[in-house]
Amino acid sequence: MNDSSVTLDSADAPALASNEPIISIDDLSFSYDLGKTNTLRNISLDIPAGKVTAFIGPSGCGKSTLLRCLNRMNDLVDTAEVTNGKISILGQDINAPDVEAIELRKHIGMVFQKYNPFPKSIYENVAYGLRVQGIKNKSVLDQAVEESLQKSALWSEVKDRLNTSALGLSGGQQQRLCIARTIAVKPQIVLMDEPCSALDPIATARIEELIAELQQDFTIVIVTHNMQQATRVSDRTAFFYLGELIEYDDTSNIFGKPKIKQTEDYVSGRFG
Amino acid sequence: MAHILKNYDEELSALKEGVVEMGAMALASVEKAIKGLTDGDRDLCYDVIDEDEKIDQREKGIDEQGMSILLRFNPVASDLRNVLSSINICRSLERIGDHAVNIAKRARKILKAGGLEEVRLIDPVYLEARKIVTTALKAYSEVDEAIALSVIEMDRKVDDLHKALGKSLSNKIAGGAEKTESLLNVIFISRSIERIGDLAVNIAEDIVFMTSAEDIRHQ
Repeated sequence: MNDSSVTLDSADAPALASNEPIISIDDLSFSYDLGKTNTLRNISLDIPAGKVTAFIGPSGCGKSTLLRCLNRMNDLVDTAEVTNGKISILGQDINAPDVEAIELRKHIGMVFQKYNPFPKSIYENVAYGLRVQGIKNKSVLDQAVEESLQKSALWSEVKDRLNTSALGLSGGQQQRLCIARTIAVKPQIVLMDEPCSALDPIATARIEELIAELQQDFTIVIVTHNMQQATRVSDRTAFFYLGELIEYDDTSNIFGKPKIKQTEDYVSGRFG
Repeated sequence: MAHILKNYDEELSALKEGVVEMGAMALASVEKAIKGLTDGDRDLCYDVIDEDEKIDQREKGIDEQGMSILLRFNPVASDLRNVLSSINICRSLERIGDHAVNIAKRARKILKAGGLEEVRLIDPVYLEARKIVTTALKAYSEVDEAIALSVIEMDRKVDDLHKALGKSLSNKIAGGAEKTESLLNVIFISRSIERIGDLAVNIAEDIVFMTSAEDIRHQ
């Protein structure tokens, strides 16, 4: 990323008060087939800093697509393109020609539906991003690994076996390790795409508790099909349907007194 | 629009039917107590006291139904407000049943003491209270916020009638009227009816919350 990326650097980023938007999506339309059909249509929403924002909606509504637009994961699809509007993160248009996707992703981490640790040791999984950034100092790496594992509530469970394979951990532990790996590079934003869908209720509860903890240091955007989870973990909720943003409000309003009938029908299980 | 889960709709309907039926039971109980008083029929008064148990059991049944819906279907938005309001409403109806028992017990005492001409003064207060409980139950049954809001206005008339009756009988007692205890019992019966009006207002407030998510209590 060149000089224009300076606003995305944590050190230079202006301090944002809670509730101020860290992500601004303005009239965004997005296509997977070079603009023949828009998977997302005219989406506008501001995501506040230091809060948890949930994206909900039926399968195919575009919520994961939008999440993947936020760190340009869709760049991996040759025929994918933003056909209208823009996404600004800390005031920077992330699709500007001079913004590199790889650099952007240092600031916007992602946790996936299926936990995907590397076939390496627990330590190396967490240190991976830092090593890619060129950090070699052992004590800096040790400190970052411990801090990330502490923050992801995994330290006490793995501190005595940091050099054993990450693949030997339980599913819930592997997902928390992936979160530790994501936050080790100190992103400002963490995107989570159905992070609990492959986990049992106990592991799910641990991740939800972790989300509440992480909220103090990161802005979190989570896609979830579990609406009870959205009510528990998020401050704001956006409901999508057929590629459009139907309603975006405080989570308590979306699930307590939604303004739009389509939202009410969806959250109360009347869609079908 | 119906829920995807058919039994969710069925259980919400059953909850509603239960509350409406309980409302009819509570209202019938008050009516019987007043009839016992005005017709001098002590058996009716005893019936009201005995039958209160049925209303109490119905309340427990509705609580169980509501709990089951909360547990199994995790209702949100208007469904959640519907369940919470229904449980609250059945609480108010149970208390209306309790007031019917209070009225029946005091009616029994008045009748045991030989009756009292002034019991006829209860009728206007009762008829007005009956009207607003019926209106509140109609608002619940039809999920009609406008009807619910009208209940709040109607309750002022019950309050005024109760105050006027209390003042009139208090003056009689102060003036040295006989049968002081029975006159006091009529005042207490009127007070129970006035409280029934207040409970109808509580029901109306729950219906407003159910329909619009507005909490208008204590305004």
